[in-house]
Amino acid sequence: MKRTRKPGITRRSTLALMGAGAVSFAAPWVARAQAKTIKIGMPTILSGRVAQLGTSSRNAVLLEVEKVNAAGGLAGRQIEMVIRDSKGQPQEAARIARELVNTDGCEMLLDGEASSGSFAVHEVARDLGVLCIHTCSEASSLTADPKQHIPNAFRCVRQGIHDSIVGASYAAGIAKAKGLKKWATCSPDYAYGRDTTGEFVLYLKKFAPDVEIISESWPKLFQPDYTEVVTKILQAKPQALYSCLWGGDLTSYIDQANIYAMFTQMEVFAVNMADYTALTVVKNLPKGIHSGDRYIKTFPPTPENAAWGDAYKAKYNEYPTNWSWQNATAVMFLNEAVKKANSTDGKKVAEALTGLTIKCPFGADGTVTMRADDHTLVGYAIGWGTTIPQEPYVPDVKAGDWKTIFELEAEWKKSKGYT
Amino acid sequence: MTELQAGQGTQPLDVARIDARPQRYRDVLIALVAFVVLALLPFIFGSKQLLDFVIRCAAYGLFATSLNLLVGYTGLISFGHGMFFGLGAYGFGLMMQKTGVPIPVAFVATLAMTLVVAVVIGAICVRLKEIYFAFVTLAFQMLIHSTILSWQSLTGGDQGLRGGIPRPPFLSIDLSNHLHLYITSCALLVIGLLLMRQIAQSPFGYTLRMIRDNATRASFIGIDVWRAKLTIFVLAALFASTGGIIMALFVSGAYPEFAYWTISGEGIFINMLGGVTTFLGPMVGTVLLLILNDTVTRLTEYHGIVLGIVILFFAIGLRKGLMDFVVEWFAQRRGEVGERAP
Repeated sequence: MKRTRKPGITRRSTLALMGAGAVSFAAPWVARAQAKTIKIGMPTILSGRVAQLGTSSRNAVLLEVEKVNAAGGLAGRQIEMVIRDSKGQPQEAARIARELVNTDGCEMLLDGEASSGSFAVHEVARDLGVLCIHTCSEASSLTADPKQHIPNAFRCVRQGIHDSIVGASYAAGIAKAKGLKKWATCSPDYAYGRDTTGEFVLYLKKFAPDVEIISESWPKLFQPDYTEVVTKILQAKPQALYSCLWGGDLTSYIDQANIYAMFTQMEVFAVNMADYTALTVVKNLPKGIHSGDRYIKTFPPTPENAAWGDAYKAKYNEYPTNWSWQNATAVMFLNEAVKKANSTDGKKVAEALTGLTIKCPFGADGTVTMRADDHTLVGYAIGWGTTIPQEPYVPDVKAGDWKTIFELEAEWKKSKGYT
Repeated sequence: MTELQAGQGTQPLDVARIDARPQRYRDVLIALVAFVVLALLPFIFGSKQLLDFVIRCAAYGLFATSLNLLVGYTGLISFGHGMFFGLGAYGFGLMMQKTGVPIPVAFVATLAMTLVVAVVIGAICVRLKEIYFAFVTLAFQMLIHSTILSWQSLTGGDQGLRGGIPRPPFLSIDLSNHLHLYITSCALLVIGLLLMRQIAQSPFGYTLRMIRDNATRASFIGIDVWRAKLTIFVLAALFASTGGIIMALFVSGAYPEFAYWTISGEGIFINMLGGVTTFLGPMVGTVLLLILNDTVTRLTEYHGIVLGIVILFFAIGLRKGLMDFVVEWFAQRRGEVGERAP
């Protein structure tokens, strides 16, 4: 049979083309209407020296997101986390944060960056107006400095100033009881080390005016050899030592100081000791090091906290870190704020977050609050205790008093010109 | 003919003088076309990621190409070029935060400050050769990095310049508008590349090649080698500083990482990737590295392994940058065609 088809576009192909055009034109609207999932972006540090902390942040977020999704998601929308590695570089953190919002369609950001990276992501949040919760940066100025304040950014992290007040109050009690007057300090030589040590000494002298600092050491960040620092401190013969070394630096320092039996010669106050990443890595953890609680599952001593620590260990075969509980708390805050706002709209969630108090396993009294005036976390469990070489590592933690923290923090803000 | 080949002997000096004017017009034309194409991109694609990518390309491209003026054209392997990138970012950021002067004034003042610092550091460094030059530049970079970390009251220490960089509009350009920032970055990139091209193709550029190939010979024919090296060191610093300014505007801040040795390392890597014997090699290297970085970090956190393999491939496999390879391949092909032709 001879085919009589004329050259050109047939009716059938015209209809097909029109159909395809209509589908492709309508697809975004259909997709948006059906967009049950809500994407949350998270730049964090997954490679390099602090990769372990970034990974523990990711683990905690995923653990909590699983629970939220199992309970129906955020206002009925399942959460999809988009987590990328910034390598700890601020310019990469900024790029990734922009990409997550502009290209990947993330409607909110959890900022798992430390130090400069968090300030870079903060500027992206300022520029794009996207809801952002900082979950790792402990620099007080991130929220205390009014220049930094934007309505869409919050910080769900412990703070250096809170640690210093509680640490100094605890240390002053011991200094008075044991007559510790000659003190030495040994902290990393960068803003966190200098600021935290300065604030600790300030409040220590306020609570125990007899105290005198007779030696200061400022080893470089990530310094491998501490021999000269250890011998310098031993020569000065202080009665007590304060240090805010952290992570690998702290464990290297303790291992090297152990050789010189430093911990039998003075009382040591290491604010960052009570974190499983440090406690489990030190070869011979000395008994009796005084430490602030970073994260241990026995403080706050509640079944909820213990259960959370165990659930994390069961899933990831390691204990959570300080960054873990902060990230988990951020997801809890988001969940409650969305419930309160009954919406996933960033602005409404931000309004709901402001001043919000939620039940939380890491709260000093079982709750934590996102303080309204500076958008920062308060009311979390904070305390000091002494180490033992085996689990639970820091058996008795003395809780800090939030009333004192608030009073002295307000004074500190005034002295810095923040209020 | 590659730049490396062109630099051999004194004959190219005459060639450069004879061909300079038409070549300059051609370069200006190419620059104009490139700018128009770049400026049209957002209206064609409308992808914000693309804009971010090009802005970063402008920052790193200016930095890497200026490094090539030292590495490829003069034979000065600087391991500390990143200090000028950092200085640009901090100088501009601080100027805008503390003084509130208009952006063009802050831009010029930052370049002036970079010039002064580069003259001082360059005067010490360019006297040295090879590895000594490399290490002293690295030492100065670490000095500047440490100063940024320690001078907390001014620089914010390791937290960087906080509170964002104010960007008041000037001449109806509002750099807080992302499209305006994009167009401005493209303009700075194109102008910067054009200026560097003119430097490279000028008699001074050919003097640099002669110094690279045989400094003793250059000195014997009456060239003040130290002065020529210092001049290019300072000029390269100015372009690197401009790259830093673009980066500071992109992230709305300045961070100590901008002045760390890893930035210099990235510059060297970009040059290895793109090639040092062609003018556009570093620019191609920048695009390659950023594409690699952006795609690989999306896919895996083990990006270090992937980038390491790529470096090995270029260093051991190709033994040259991509543009060197392409140029040689074309030259070879043309040669073969020429042989076959009657």
